[in-house]
Amino acid sequence: MQDTLATLISALLAAGLYATMSYGLALIYGVLKVINLANAGVLMLGAYVTWWMWDAFHVDPLLAPIVVLPLFFLFGIVLERVAVRRVIEQEPIVSLLLLFGVWLILQNIAYAIWTGDTRSIETPFIESTFKLGGIQLAWPRVYVFVAGALTLAVLQLFLTKTQFGRAIRAVSQDREAARLAGIDVERIYAVAFGIGIALSAFAGSLLSLLFPFGPDFGQALQLKSFCIVVLGGLDSFVGVAFGAILLSLAEAFGLRYMAASLQNLISFVLLVVVLIAFPKGIAGIIRSLRRV
Amino acid sequence: MLEIERLQVGYGEIRVLEGCSLHVDRGEIVALLGANGAGKTTLMRAISRLIDPIAGSISLEGEDITRASAAHVVDAGLAQVPEGRKLWPEMTVEDNLLLGAFARRARPQTAASLAEVYAIFPRVKERRRQIAGTLSGGEQQMVAIARGLMSQPSLLMLDEPSLGLAPIIVAEVFASIRKINASGTTVFLVEQNVAGALELASRGYVLETGRIVMEGSREQLLGSEIVRKAYLGL
Ligand SMILES: Nc1ncnc2c1ncn2[C@@H]1O[C@H](COP(=O)(O)OP(=O)(O)OP(=O)(O)O)[C@@H](O)[C@H]1O
Ligand SMILES: [Mg+2]
Repeated sequence: MQDTLATLISALLAAGLYATMSYGLALIYGVLKVINLANAGVLMLGAYVTWWMWDAFHVDPLLAPIVVLPLFFLFGIVLERVAVRRVIEQEPIVSLLLLFGVWLILQNIAYAIWTGDTRSIETPFIESTFKLGGIQLAWPRVYVFVAGALTLAVLQLFLTKTQFGRAIRAVSQDREAARLAGIDVERIYAVAFGIGIALSAFAGSLLSLLFPFGPDFGQALQLKSFCIVVLGGLDSFVGVAFGAILLSLAEAFGLRYMAASLQNLISFVLLVVVLIAFPKGIAGIIRSLRRV
Repeated sequence: MLEIERLQVGYGEIRVLEGCSLHVDRGEIVALLGANGAGKTTLMRAISRLIDPIAGSISLEGEDITRASAAHVVDAGLAQVPEGRKLWPEMTVEDNLLLGAFARRARPQTAASLAEVYAIFPRVKERRRQIAGTLSGGEQQMVAIARGLMSQPSLLMLDEPSLGLAPIIVAEVFASIRKINASGTTVFLVEQNVAGALELASRGYVLETGRIVMEGSREQLLGSEIVRKAYLGL
């Protein structure tokens, strides 16, 4: 019983992290219909910037998002303007290759600047734990979960309650109708890409509190993100949050019956099963229920 | 109000419009008739600046908009209700309408415009919290027209508003178009429902494979061989 509860709590905490690292992917796909293969690279860079600010300037890693979010928002906008924009209308393979190339470049930049050494951040907060009904929990994991939940709330508010957020959804649902309403679709592409990249970097910043990392960091997480986004239906944030919970539950309980080295297999199997059984993901199921 | 001269439009190698000229004057309802594939939607898309013309010119209230941006055209007072409604299906009806007022021209008056379109379409008001994709076809068409009105257009273009609707709903939609025109909005209407369109419009054009083959008043069109044979089946 205690065991099951501990597994449940641990899964829920992991879900917050998984969701955060997938929102950017979902937003970029939803609006630009482009799969951001550079997502892992952005996670990795977000982690490095956080670590570097702590290591070189003694900035508390909890404050790093103040720099990481605007910095990567700008990076996303520049990347969209310079490169992604040129391939949006082309075959999906073109943008896949382009963004895969961006990932390789980001990795090599990280090797060049920070070498291949494994880095980790150590602060009293990161090492702190507490007990809840006999279960030992790490504060940073709780913090990351709360940050993920807050991100979802802020995103949802932005996308449903502001005119600019609505315009982003309009472009994702029908580009041509958006143009007819006078929405500058190209500007929305740039801003949405910028927000998506900023979200991924933010997730990377959070990850640096939990895991040691190097330039190749993010590869295994990339697969998990794809699995979550497919579960969530590719363009719904609430769906993504559910997808994250589902994956982390499957992993947590799956691991009780199989070797830890097989953890990544779980997301892969889930991905294939969902693609075959529910190609529209959880959001598709919710949507069809709502129509009844 | 709208002036189109020798407009040529195509997709890649294929030329769809081969030099169309027409005009719509302030206060009118003008119909554009034509069979499937004649190029009606292509003309609408060129006017709304969704595709670039190859040659010719488009002007709106005296301003040359042949190369303007789609957003600029909306700000200049032109709204299009596109073929197939094209609502944002996952959004509520009210969010669809609010976005209809995205243009700079319309934003300050959003609340007043909303009250106005709800007065024209009480059924849309009843449905305002519903997800747009779950509405019936007739309701969707009304929301699409209401969304177009939210930008406070001086010229409203409608591309086949009767498409796929039951006759009783078509009558309701056409009645609302008449009401919108009566309150001062000029209307340019694309229709295959020729009988219905010519009840509304005072003037019209017939488009066949990329060319205007006929123009005239309602009476002239109703009396012509082309329209009677090809479109009214008389
Ligand atoms: N995106 C496109 N690419 C290539 N050809 C197109 C495209 N859109 C339309 N066409 C072609 O242009 C021609 C005119 O199409 P258009 O949609 O303007 O006709 P329409 O008069 O609106 O017909 P309908 O009454 O069926 O709506 C057709 O032959 C069509 O196949
Ligand atoms: Mg058409």
